Amino acid sequence: MAVTLAQDKLSLEEGAARLTNLLKSLRDEGSLPSSLRDRIHRWVTAADLHALFTEQALKEDWKYTTMDFLRRPWKYAPFQVESTSAPFQISSSASNPLSISQIEAADALKSFPDPLSPWEALLSGVPVQVHYILKDGERLSLTLRNPGDLSAQLITVSLPAYTKGHILLSLKGEGLSLLRLHLHLAEGSNLRLYCISEDGGENVYRYFLITGFLERAASISTYDFTTRAGWKRGEYRIRLGGIGASAHLHGAVYVREGSLVDTAIRVEHFAPHTESNQLFKSLVQAHGRSAFQGRIFVDRSAQKTNAYQSHKALLMAPSAAAYSRPQLEIFADDVRCTHGVTTGFLQGDMLMYLRARGIPEEVARQMLYRAFLTEVIEKVSESSLQSWMEGQLDEAIGFSF
Amino acid sequence: MIHRRRTLAFFVIASGGKTTNFVALMLNIHNLHASVEGRPILKGLNLTVRPGEVHAIMGPNGAGKSTLAAILTGREGYEVTEGEVLFEGQNLLDMAPEERSHAGIFLAFQYPVEIPGVSMIQFLRAALNAHRAAKGLEPLDSGDLMALLREKAALLKLDPSFLSRSVNEGFSGGERKRAEIFQMAVLDPKLVIMDETDSGLDIDALRIVADAVNALRSPERAFIIITHYYRILQYIRPDFVHILADGRIVRSGGPELALELEEKGYEPLLNPA
Repeated sequence: MAVTLAQDKLSLEEGAARLTNLLKSLRDEGSLPSSLRDRIHRWVTAADLHALFTEQALKEDWKYTTMDFLRRPWKYAPFQVESTSAPFQISSSASNPLSISQIEAADALKSFPDPLSPWEALLSGVPVQVHYILKDGERLSLTLRNPGDLSAQLITVSLPAYTKGHILLSLKGEGLSLLRLHLHLAEGSNLRLYCISEDGGENVYRYFLITGFLERAASISTYDFTTRAGWKRGEYRIRLGGIGASAHLHGAVYVREGSLVDTAIRVEHFAPHTESNQLFKSLVQAHGRSAFQGRIFVDRSAQKTNAYQSHKALLMAPSAAAYSRPQLEIFADDVRCTHGVTTGFLQGDMLMYLRARGIPEEVARQMLYRAFLTEVIEKVSESSLQSWMEGQLDEAIGFSF
Repeated sequence: MIHRRRTLAFFVIASGGKTTNFVALMLNIHNLHASVEGRPILKGLNLTVRPGEVHAIMGPNGAGKSTLAAILTGREGYEVTEGEVLFEGQNLLDMAPEERSHAGIFLAFQYPVEIPGVSMIQFLRAALNAHRAAKGLEPLDSGDLMALLREKAALLKLDPSFLSRSVNEGFSGGERKRAEIFQMAVLDPKLVIMDETDSGLDIDALRIVADAVNALRSPERAFIIITHYYRILQYIRPDFVHILADGRIVRSGGPELALELEEKGYEPLLNPA
């Protein structure tokens, strides 16, 4: 099942070429809706992962990420659909994926964006494509297990006007997992998206790219949560395309020893009176690495934009590393945008306060580490999921007081 | 020599020659010298405290009042260069901050820190259970814990809803100081050090704090009240008042000394004509 280390012989460039060819060979245009077929054909044909080493903008975007996974000669094996171990109640009337003829008219395909990276281009053409249109109040679980090599999938979800939906996204299993998810939120719709990790390990590489298009007064809240070991890069690109649309992106990650958690966000304000908020926290163990890139783009048309971004990293040892790259691109003149970044170690006065009340130093540290991420976990409005996250965190930190 | 001094710490013959009492000393600070970043702050401080006593330590800014509190609770960044501190006969300076707490020392902080993400309940459960573990006791069950916390909150006239708030987060100055005394009531210490607890309190909050402290006075518990002002001593009447100046106690007396300070200021006491 698992790829043996003895096969890790490729150079990064060789690996990129090989992976490019593998993903291209997976392209299955027969399963593509006709409205997208030509566009995707062009993207996939032109895509080349070698650009990761040559194109300046891409090099910058992948600057803090280790790409050792490229050294492995992956073979394709499709994802297996599973149920999640997290307490996420799915609806009894969960949508069946739609057939090709049904999706032709789906909103999600209308707003399917042009790719900004070779990953995005290649993943647009992967063979397993699943499309959903959520009913009001529906709760969808997208829990996918990689059987141990390379798995890739494209999923699109539409929320019709004035519907509410919940999606849980969970990638499981070893190997290289690639997921491309596009969301279309019609007027006044509301989506909560939970991206969690239920397992992890040394041989775990997970990449997902989530794009979203929000029409007038639609809103999305995302919660990125992991305490598991492995390599993970999550990209979010949310376009606020209608007046009054809003996006609230949260992240609480515990980066284990030797692991990497990389988050790249791009929120695009393309309409007036739109609002976005990014709250991400990383707790990083010794020899762990956290990267956060958060870009806020405000188009000339998006007057009265409110956009906030906060990334805080807490290092548990001097060998832990956290990189933060806030980016603002603002072309409108009547907007409010703020960003804040902090990186550091536990504050001595907090530790002293707890110890002065009799709490042993080790327990005091654990309490403060836990509290650091709790601030984000508390934003999860579903209490069962919130408790599950707290439990996962306690287990990871070894907190049991 | 050190051995002899330890013995003395348990049985000290009260001075004055009138009566000979054998009263166990709780705290014995002997010739304490300490510096911060190489700068001497305490320069030979002596102080003895017996159970049940209330000592007020007053002094101008920079006299070393907060340094004394920091050293007694084991805060980092202070170097003791000479002298010793015995608490119930044990060398306090060798103990970690948490061990001092378990032994029965409580510091009411001058500036209690905010700890977002840790609720008062979690915080006090961890603290109480650590105290119990140090005594070889089982953790408190949550029913008993809540009953205890509610009872002590009522003593400080604190709304029980504050128990589910994060420690000191968003608390007003007065609430923070009340929360300190609340923690003291919960942890039931032997020796309480109040580091300028009165600063920043309005008169109503000061009364609440003072009432709670008075309610907690007992023959077994001692207090060291560090303050700039006479005001708090009108509500918590001390047995002894000490004036700390330039790292040493330069004068000691009864409550009347505080009143004298209030009337004349530090200047004539420190530099008698």
